[in-house]
Amino acid sequence: MSLKYGVLGLLKGEPLHGYEVKNRFEAMLGGTWEVNIGQIYTTLQRLERDGLVRPVGPRGGRGKLQYELSPDGQKALEQWLGEPDSGPQQLHEEIYVKLLLATRIANGNLHGLLARQKRAYLQRLRDLNRLEEQARRDGRIDLARLVRGALLHTEADLKWMDELSSERFGEEGVATE
Amino acid sequence: MTELVRLADVTKVYQGGITGALNGVSVTVEKGEFTAIMGPSGSGKSTMLNLVAGLDRPTSGSVSVSGTDLGKLGEAGLARFRRDQIGFVFQFFYLLPNLTALENVLIPAQLKGNASTERGRELLATLGIEEVADRYPARLSGGQQQRVAVARALINNPTLLLADEPTGALDTHSGEQVMELLGGLHREGQTILLVTHDAKLATRHAARVISVMDGKIVDDAHLESPERAPSEVIRVHGEEASR
Repeated sequence: MSLKYGVLGLLKGEPLHGYEVKNRFEAMLGGTWEVNIGQIYTTLQRLERDGLVRPVGPRGGRGKLQYELSPDGQKALEQWLGEPDSGPQQLHEEIYVKLLLATRIANGNLHGLLARQKRAYLQRLRDLNRLEEQARRDGRIDLARLVRGALLHTEADLKWMDELSSERFGEEGVATE
Repeated sequence: MTELVRLADVTKVYQGGITGALNGVSVTVEKGEFTAIMGPSGSGKSTMLNLVAGLDRPTSGSVSVSGTDLGKLGEAGLARFRRDQIGFVFQFFYLLPNLTALENVLIPAQLKGNASTERGRELLATLGIEEVADRYPARLSGGQQQRVAVARALINNPTLLLADEPTGALDTHSGEQVMELLGGLHREGQTILLVTHDAKLATRHAARVISVMDGKIVDDAHLESPERAPSEVIRVHGEEASR
């Protein structure tokens, strides 16, 4: 998602200053997404340009300005919230490209890579478990849900490593053009 | 730390098939550890547990628990060893249907000749199910049955608690409760060896994960537990605000 809708969503309840948006955004994300204040101001300016937010009160220095949601902003937010995420699957991590290259370079012998990656996923599961526990202790059910999603994703990654490990590599070869 | 379990070059061959066989496994477990054993079905992980429990004997190699070489024990000695040192929790609970929860819990203590109803009730209370003491297994939920089975495993204060897929027959919530229970026991010092498919549940409490494949240990991961900032664990991504 872009910062845009995060900012719109936070302005839904009440008008906020830029630095309040930043603080609330980071608090909502529980430290899993840090933004700098410049990104917030840029986002607010673009939203204002597009008519989705508007300043409240007289225009002083940019830090002093409060923004509120416009009716168009309200509509855009509702539409975005109701839409499913249907874009392409995002694979951000390096392992995907590493796997492809290793398949070519290591002539199909991936066992070392897979074993090390598997261990990294196990450690991640442990870290995520602790984070989920912490979120629950803090009464942050929303954050615990997010961490739970990450746990299930990592579990799938681990299963993927297991599946790759039990494959017989090198029999089919890789078609390189 | 003191060594509690030692498998030395253990091989187990089953007649008529290779499923569950072990092929030269060596590993030690320290007192107080919570270790998870993971691997695909038929990889030999349950066989490892059964050998440590003295439920089965290796084809070659040796298994020691608390310094006792199980290979040197006869059948009676092995039965005594299981009774005094091992608590075992199974996937399907294996409670006796015609005994109440409390009576089930007390079976191992009766075999030892020191069954105390009071201690049985105490244990059920510790596990949060004192109200089911006088009920029969058929009247209990899966999660309750498994907690009764954990109480039964603990009644003789075993040196070692072994659990083979203890959450495998439970729904997510009950499974988490049972695992929480094992975590609590571990924090009080109980050594636990757990066989499981569920890595996310296992890593919640077990700091060591042994991976078994085709009868061999292919990885032995000691996981760290440092305090990490959320951003070191998860990074939620956004597109840069570019439009």
